[in-house]
Amino acid sequence: MMIGILQAKCKLFLRNPLLFVIFTGMSIVFALIIGGAIGMNTIHVPVYAENETVQDSFIGEYLEETDVYQFSWMTKDEMLEEISNGKAEVGAVLQEFDYQLIVGVESVNTAMVDQTLRDAYMRNIQLEQMITAAGADTGRERENVLEELQSAMASPVFTIETTSFRSSDSFIYDNTFQSLFGFSLFFVIYTIAYNVLPILIEKKDGIWDRMILSPIKKWEMYVANLVYSFFAGYLQVLIIFLIFRFWVGVDFNGRFLETLVLLIPYVFSIVALSIFLTSLMKNAEQFNAILPIIAVSMAMIGGAYWPIEIVESEILLALSKINPLTYGMEVLQGVAVYGYSIEELLLPISILLLMGVVFMGLGIHLMEKRHV
Amino acid sequence: MLELVDLSKKFKQNNAVKNVNMFIEKGEIVGLLGPNGAGKSTAISMLSSLVIPTKGDVRFNNKSVIKHPEPLRRVIGMVPQEIALYEDLTAEENLKFFGRIYKLKGNALKKKIDEVLDQIGLTDRRKDIVKTFSGGMKRRLNIGVAMLHDPEIMIMDEPTVGIDPQSRNYILETVKRLNHEKQMTVLYTSHYMEEVEFLCDRIYIMDQGNLIASGTKDEIKRILSAEKAILIKSNRWNDTFITSLKQDPTVNRVIVEEKEITIMVPKEINMFSSLIRIAEDAGIELNSVDIKTPTLEDVFLHLTGRALRD
Ligand SMILES: Nc1ncnc2c1ncn2[C@@H]1O[C@H](COP(=O)(O)OP(=O)(O)OP(=O)(O)O)[C@@H](O)[C@H]1O
Ligand SMILES: [Mg+2]
Repeated sequence: MMIGILQAKCKLFLRNPLLFVIFTGMSIVFALIIGGAIGMNTIHVPVYAENETVQDSFIGEYLEETDVYQFSWMTKDEMLEEISNGKAEVGAVLQEFDYQLIVGVESVNTAMVDQTLRDAYMRNIQLEQMITAAGADTGRERENVLEELQSAMASPVFTIETTSFRSSDSFIYDNTFQSLFGFSLFFVIYTIAYNVLPILIEKKDGIWDRMILSPIKKWEMYVANLVYSFFAGYLQVLIIFLIFRFWVGVDFNGRFLETLVLLIPYVFSIVALSIFLTSLMKNAEQFNAILPIIAVSMAMIGGAYWPIEIVESEILLALSKINPLTYGMEVLQGVAVYGYSIEELLLPISILLLMGVVFMGLGIHLMEKRHV
Repeated sequence: MLELVDLSKKFKQNNAVKNVNMFIEKGEIVGLLGPNGAGKSTAISMLSSLVIPTKGDVRFNNKSVIKHPEPLRRVIGMVPQEIALYEDLTAEENLKFFGRIYKLKGNALKKKIDEVLDQIGLTDRRKDIVKTFSGGMKRRLNIGVAMLHDPEIMIMDEPTVGIDPQSRNYILETVKRLNHEKQMTVLYTSHYMEEVEFLCDRIYIMDQGNLIASGTKDEIKRILSAEKAILIKSNRWNDTFITSLKQDPTVNRVIVEEKEITIMVPKEINMFSSLIRIAEDAGIELNSVDIKTPTLEDVFLHLTGRALRD
């Protein structure tokens, strides 16, 4: 009998796919444009090296390899001009062991560029120390050590685990994933919520009364509706990710399947949140008015629009802790950007599942208590 | 067979249903009349085990429905006041869906759907999406869905609101036929007197949560047998006229509307001449004077001092 409900829901879905298509499309378009996954939007950062060796050193190589920012070498005057006439938001003066940021416009990028440069210098120091430790003095020896180091890195005998999950100074800003995950997780809230809302409408119209009088069980009605909403939401993100994986060519750092699996807790928690929200609403109009407010606030404080790492307000940070989207982003970025294992992500996963259970329990309880 | 015992329902401060007692016997068509907000739907929801009463009990074959709703649910068919259908599915798909949740399948389901479609006269529109239906067709399907599992008791909450006369007649005839052919017991809620007069054997009248009258059609009309109603019409009234009417010792009650006044007087009184005199004294020109035989509408007026429909 649950199958009957699911079939009816699927028929209804196929007859009115417009909203689904719109939300899927918006996620893709926003992620493409803002995420710059098609390469039209890497941010240009002018740099000037005070000491020429910097450009050829490890630091120079490192900066050229990052694909979020395009560092271009130029003279000091050129750089200052670009910043003053607004061609670039931020630039940097690089010395051998130190750097200076020249900030034109304070933005997300200032912190990110700073972060990237700091990484480059830190790694450079580590490298120098290793070379010194290896006792390499002459140029040839240095080359050899470097080569060995590189091949060792390519096939490590052991890996050092970084357990500093979300420690403030080790965050990687990957614009592509930030936007892809951010917009996917944001827009899917709408799809899921709009698929849960019919529970309220069907209750008002008396369709639920009809089902209650029939032999079908109450729990079957909820399960069928919620399972359906879950799959509608999951399907949306799946389509988006498939498009990015196989059409745009984002490789999810080789962890595409894990990403798909670890999407489940988030989608589940949003289904639960939606039923909770629905249970508090008087009618569909109120729901329609409130949903965007909730979804957008969740996106803003949950790090869907910009990385949560740049949020400083204590209040917002506290709020982000009760926001499933925060953990959804944490899990997906944890997998695809940081390369964490599932065990390392157990905390945010458990929080999502817990939130899901709590919201669903409350939601169904309130839904049952209300008249209509 | 089905009984409401001292049934009450309170929504926060609002006493929607107050101490209502009713019974329905097998094979009857019982009418439940009342104006908007009378508490009809609330009473019906409690009766069909969808709403838990604040006080009182519903008994089906002498067993409490509140404690054990299943035996009643198995035999009950409910036509809700709203159109409880999936508007984006076709008529047939709706029937299929609701048939399935009643565990019908395969050929049995197909046959049943054909039969119901035939009974509600929608066979040639079966493949059309409900959204494209007229109000009357939706109402008919709304009833059809409740017939799929051959219920013994059909509970209908204003099944004819806002539809064209043809569809309305069709529905009334269908109800009557089901009652005749299948001995289906029917509780029919309405605020249309004519429907109830046409269909029902017995009638309950509710107002503001109270049951204010009950009995067979004749019994109810006999409430008025001691009185008659005189209906007078004029383009305008004045206070002198109305006051003198009210002060006339033979007049029981005066109900004033814009262009009509209904005067209730004891049956044996002939107040025609005194009425004309009062009108002359007050300077009122009467357009017509009518003596009405009592209708259910008058009973309602008598009982509540208000018209059934606003
Ligand atoms: N779920 C509810 N919550 C609060 N009050 C309610 C609820 N349902 C009904 N009421 C109130 O109870 C009273 C009776 O309503 P009910 O729907 O039973 O009347 P009705 O006779 O069916 O009227 P109508 O002819 O308009 O359908 C009304 O005052 C209504 O506002
Ligand atoms: Mg009603």
